[in-house]
Amino acid sequence: MDPDALAKAFVEHYYSTFDTNRAGLANLYQESSMLTFEGQKIQGSQNIVNKLTSLPFQQCKHTITTVDCQPSGPAGGMLVLVSGNLQLSGEQHALKFSQMFHLMPTPQGSFYVYNHIFRLNYA
Amino acid sequence: MEEQVEMVGRAFVEHYYHLFDTDRSSLASLYHQSSMLTFEGQKLQGVDICAKINQLPFDKCHHFISTIDTQPSSFAGGITVFVSGSLRLMCEEHPLRFSQMFHLIPTPQGSFYVQNDIFRLNYG
Repeated sequence: MDPDALAKAFVEHYYSTFDTNRAGLANLYQESSMLTFEGQKIQGSQNIVNKLTSLPFQQCKHTITTVDCQPSGPAGGMLVLVSGNLQLSGEQHALKFSQMFHLMPTPQGSFYVYNHIFRLNYA
Repeated sequence: MEEQVEMVGRAFVEHYYHLFDTDRSSLASLYHQSSMLTFEGQKLQGVDICAKINQLPFDKCHHFISTIDTQPSSFAGGITVFVSGSLRLMCEEHPLRFSQMFHLIPTPQGSFYVQNDIFRLNYG
């Protein structure tokens, strides 16, 4: 599969899981994974998933506007920059966001999130 | 260690945009042959990166940085940096908002170069 198609597939899987079963994101992170969420730094799959499942909304929907990816080096990693909108149920206006993932390959042939940085884009 | 990564990431980013805003052609020293830039979806590598940056259709600009987030990357000594901010072009009334991601790799001389660079404007 070509890298762009891989990145797109991963991103679609990530947001679909986020929007329908947030706790299911746990297997996309490992102990070494890092998330910086609006400036707050969190490490490890458990802590990251705790943060994401405790965000103050029940339902949300991500709509992706752009996905860009590049290989990060000889270890097979991929850097992905995503921008899009996040609609929280009950809120009138969608929030705009940008997000960076650094994906690393697993021995089983898939990817996990090693670096993850999330920022809302304020007008 | 974490603070060092943050300091280095911030210092690099401030240096990068200062060069961009005052002497764009000197950015060449921050990229290597292997470097990659994706600029608004257009993919460039190596020397083509500096050609692209030098040919952007404006003379002067100023980057205002809103946020800088850094994390150590899986590459030994590497740093991922995520920046958001606005870009003012001279003669344009409204600044453009942007997000940009850098993957910095250490050089033997003790500084860093940009191995990966992805730039996107954030439209309202």
